[in-house]
Amino acid sequence: MQILQKEIADFKNELLAMASHAEGAIVRAIKALLERDDKLAEQVKKDDYILDEFEISIDNEAIRLLSQAPLAKDLRMIVTGMKISNDLERIGDEAAKIAKCTLILNKEPNLKEYIDIPTMAERATEMLRDALDSFVQGDTEKARAVQPKDQLVNQINSQVHRELAGYIAESPVNISRSLSLMVVSKSLERIADHAKNIAEEAVYIHEGEDIRHSNGAKHTQ
Amino acid sequence: METMEEPPPAKSPDTQAQPSPDTTNEEPKASPPYIRVQDYCFWYGENQVLFDLNLDVQEKKVTALIGPSGCGKSTLLRNFNRMNDLVDDIRHKGDITIAGNSIYDPAVEIISLRKRVGMVFQKYNPFPKSIYENVIFSLRVAGRRNKAELDETVERSLKKAALWEEVKDRLHESALGLSGGQMQRLCIARAIANQPEILLMDEPCSALDPIATGKIEDLIDELRDQFTIIIVTHNMQQATRISDNTAFFYLGELIEYGETQQIFTNPKIKQTEDYVTGRFG
Amino acid sequence: MNQSKKEIPAGEPLVWLTSMGLIIGVTMVLYLLWIITVNGVTVFWPKPVYEIQLKEDSTEHVGGAKNFFGVITMEREKLSAEISGEGNDSTQEYQFFTGNKDLYDFMYKFISKEQVEKMHKPEEVLVGERLEYGSALFLPVRLELPEGKMIEKSDGNFMATLQKYLKEGNHRREEFTSIEKKDIGKINAEMEKIRIRGLALEKEHGEKAEELPVFSKLMKRQEALEKEYIVLEEEAGKLREKQEEVLLVYHTAAGEENTLPVAHFTDIYAPNQFGMSDKAGFFVRKFWAFLSENPREANMEGGIFPAIFGTFVMTVLMSIAVMPFGVVAAIYLREYAKQGFMVRSVRIAVNNLAGVPSIVFGVFGLGFFVYLMGGTIDSIFFKDRLLDNTPTFGTGGILWASLTLALMTVPVVVVATEEALASVPRGVREASLACGASKWQTIQRIVLPASAPGILTGLILAMARGAGEVAPLMLVGVVKLAPDLPLDMMAPFLHMERKFMHLGFHIYDLGFQSPDSEAAKPMVFATTFLLILLVVVMNLFAILIRNHLRKKYSSAVF
Repeated sequence: MQILQKEIADFKNELLAMASHAEGAIVRAIKALLERDDKLAEQVKKDDYILDEFEISIDNEAIRLLSQAPLAKDLRMIVTGMKISNDLERIGDEAAKIAKCTLILNKEPNLKEYIDIPTMAERATEMLRDALDSFVQGDTEKARAVQPKDQLVNQINSQVHRELAGYIAESPVNISRSLSLMVVSKSLERIADHAKNIAEEAVYIHEGEDIRHSNGAKHTQ
Repeated sequence: METMEEPPPAKSPDTQAQPSPDTTNEEPKASPPYIRVQDYCFWYGENQVLFDLNLDVQEKKVTALIGPSGCGKSTLLRNFNRMNDLVDDIRHKGDITIAGNSIYDPAVEIISLRKRVGMVFQKYNPFPKSIYENVIFSLRVAGRRNKAELDETVERSLKKAALWEEVKDRLHESALGLSGGQMQRLCIARAIANQPEILLMDEPCSALDPIATGKIEDLIDELRDQFTIIIVTHNMQQATRISDNTAFFYLGELIEYGETQQIFTNPKIKQTEDYVTGRFG
Repeated sequence: MNQSKKEIPAGEPLVWLTSMGLIIGVTMVLYLLWIITVNGVTVFWPKPVYEIQLKEDSTEHVGGAKNFFGVITMEREKLSAEISGEGNDSTQEYQFFTGNKDLYDFMYKFISKEQVEKMHKPEEVLVGERLEYGSALFLPVRLELPEGKMIEKSDGNFMATLQKYLKEGNHRREEFTSIEKKDIGKINAEMEKIRIRGLALEKEHGEKAEELPVFSKLMKRQEALEKEYIVLEEEAGKLREKQEEVLLVYHTAAGEENTLPVAHFTDIYAPNQFGMSDKAGFFVRKFWAFLSENPREANMEGGIFPAIFGTFVMTVLMSIAVMPFGVVAAIYLREYAKQGFMVRSVRIAVNNLAGVPSIVFGVFGLGFFVYLMGGTIDSIFFKDRLLDNTPTFGTGGILWASLTLALMTVPVVVVATEEALASVPRGVREASLACGASKWQTIQRIVLPASAPGILTGLILAMARGAGEVAPLMLVGVVKLAPDLPLDMMAPFLHMERKFMHLGFHIYDLGFQSPDSEAAKPMVFATTFLLILLVVVMNLFAILIRNHLRKKYSSAVF
């Protein structure tokens, strides 16, 4: 059984490599936005393919491992690993979207001072880190704590949308920049959702309990 | 064979056994315990091999016994129909009851116990007789002679064992001319001919190729509504495929017992988890 | 370029050695069988009869004359010549069968080759096998029929008539033998019973016995039987008389004449006139007669049917006795007895029993079966006969002989059965028990049938050993010449108390106890050949059964 254990460890490491890449993509995308860096934004857009390749590789590896009929935690790890890779790939897509918007926004001066968006980015990145930590270490308390943070991010997103709607109503010259900023905000909100998923999946791997769609309350069977 | 003194306590099937402190498990889905193992210990000579087992086997379900070699699962299985009585110098403590009646009750004849509890062995062992004679052997030793009854039993049992179509034209040929998988199905037909309530299977597929194994597993699936089946297996994928409940044994103790799905996707006890994922055993 | 030496696997030379040993062994057995077969079978093949003319100055003579009829039975170096190592006519000698023992006082004679002037085969010479004094070699003169009628040799249908009267004589002999043996025998048996009963009554009631009604009933019956006896005796007597009516006059080569009733001959033939098919027919006839007739002339002539029959019946009885006994003992030892010191010692004792010399069994059989058990049975059931000093079971008989041999072969059966039982795989036994069978049912339905081939092997070995043993039989029931067969048509059909004849003993008797050992030699070989044949046939039969069973129960190891 040693072979299987080693391969599962390799699988886990590959997931972590992909996760660190995804995390980096978010950080760079926000940096490009805040510092109005076209070159960085281009880089983020281009590098998205790396995450796509990771997802394919991880999914193939998972199928191969499943053919060996693993059980219990190993089984949960592999099946959930496929889902996590999917979430991470979407995060990458969202980061690429942010970079695209940055390129458009950089054609005009900043609409306003960015306050909420960096906050959201920070929260989302924090959530992702916590989820990945608990995936690695098995600290399911940490993972459970990620769920409520998502609600916070949702609230900020709604707030940003209202504010930007105001700008649009004010003047047509603001429309392009407002719309782009709305997309950025939405992407960040989605990234937070994916981070929450990863946290739930981490709990399932380590405890065998499925806490999806429950907003923290335990399932009644 | 001496038994340690303790007259079996009168059992009403409704009382639930108290879980012993070593096993933390949810009771499997509620239905009256059909076979109850209570505080059961077993010795071969001076050597104790089963320690304080408490187990409720549900009626008309498939229960798998798993564990590494030497953990006592086969020993326990063979005690259900008292096959271990063949060994000299054994003793036991505690009790095993079937539908409330202790199998160690002196009023119970071992032979009639074995008529209610059929057994299929690891290495198929058909008698060197014809297929027909193999199937009805248990009826013959019970003295039944009515030819119509015997014929009907042969057809019914072979059909249930998914062997009828393959052998119906050569019932009176020697059973030793069949393939391995067919012989094992014949042994199953033989075990169910007398319509026992319980079927014990001791690693029935370990001597067979994957296709024959698959056929036997399908067979067990078809039989599950008619018999209470207890199966010892080393193949965990097999246990996941066919059993409703699973009990994990280690060094003569029952470590964990619960629904199969739970044991194999999310075992509660680390030893179970380690065994199931192959980290030992 | 150097070829590497071909490697010989280690130990291969030993294989050659062992196969050599096997070949030598097989060759010896085949040679032995060949000698026995040749010597035994050629007894029945007709040999030509010569007229031998001895030299005028020869020191030898046969019946006072220098010429005689003879059959060459052996050619060899004279014993003295073998020492000096020369080889020519003066050192070689013939053994002739001369026949006509009544005239010459001997039947065989050694004559040195140089004494012989010439030999030729006369066409007309006849060989006549007789009831007494062996065969005669002669030329016929004439037939003398009742009422003074004569048929000369020169008469055209002389031989045909001779053969006709010969056949008649044989038939008549059969008839009166049957009357004497069967009918008169029955009467004798009953009269014997009456006599014994009378003796018993007398002993019981003394003088008063004669007044008892049962006594007079016995007397009446005895009278009736005596009347019947007289009638039959007359009938037989008449037949016997008739046998003496037709006479044959003949003479030897030297001209000495003799007259004998034709009915004293059992067969007359002209061997020098036989073609190939005649010889073959003769051979078959003689061989069959050998197998089916009773012996004559102190076992030197005639057939050995009673010995064959006795051997066969005894072997069958022995097998019937040993099988259940041995098999049940083995079942108990292996299946039921608690394995421990007791069982091990019993097993060792049984195995050692196989090494006890067979004569010891004979002595045991005599003491235990014959005297103790037989004596007890006699004193309870056959008191009356004891009064007459004729024990029934208190003396040797086929029953005790069979039981003694059964005892001797029990270890073989026990060992073979135990091995066969042990070789039944455990899985099959467990399956049977799991089906709800009791231990005995398992043994009866599964274990015994599966071990049947092995048990039969034990039986084969037992039969082979038992059929060949002679020494113990001499003490417990075998005789040189038995008056009756142990199995016949009179109730109770199987007479367990009768003595019987046995092929092995017959060989011993012929070879060492017969008055004329030269005459007996052909019979010895023929009987040996037959004994081997009988054992081989019985074994083959058992092997066939075993093979059939083995196919049926192909899980058996044996």
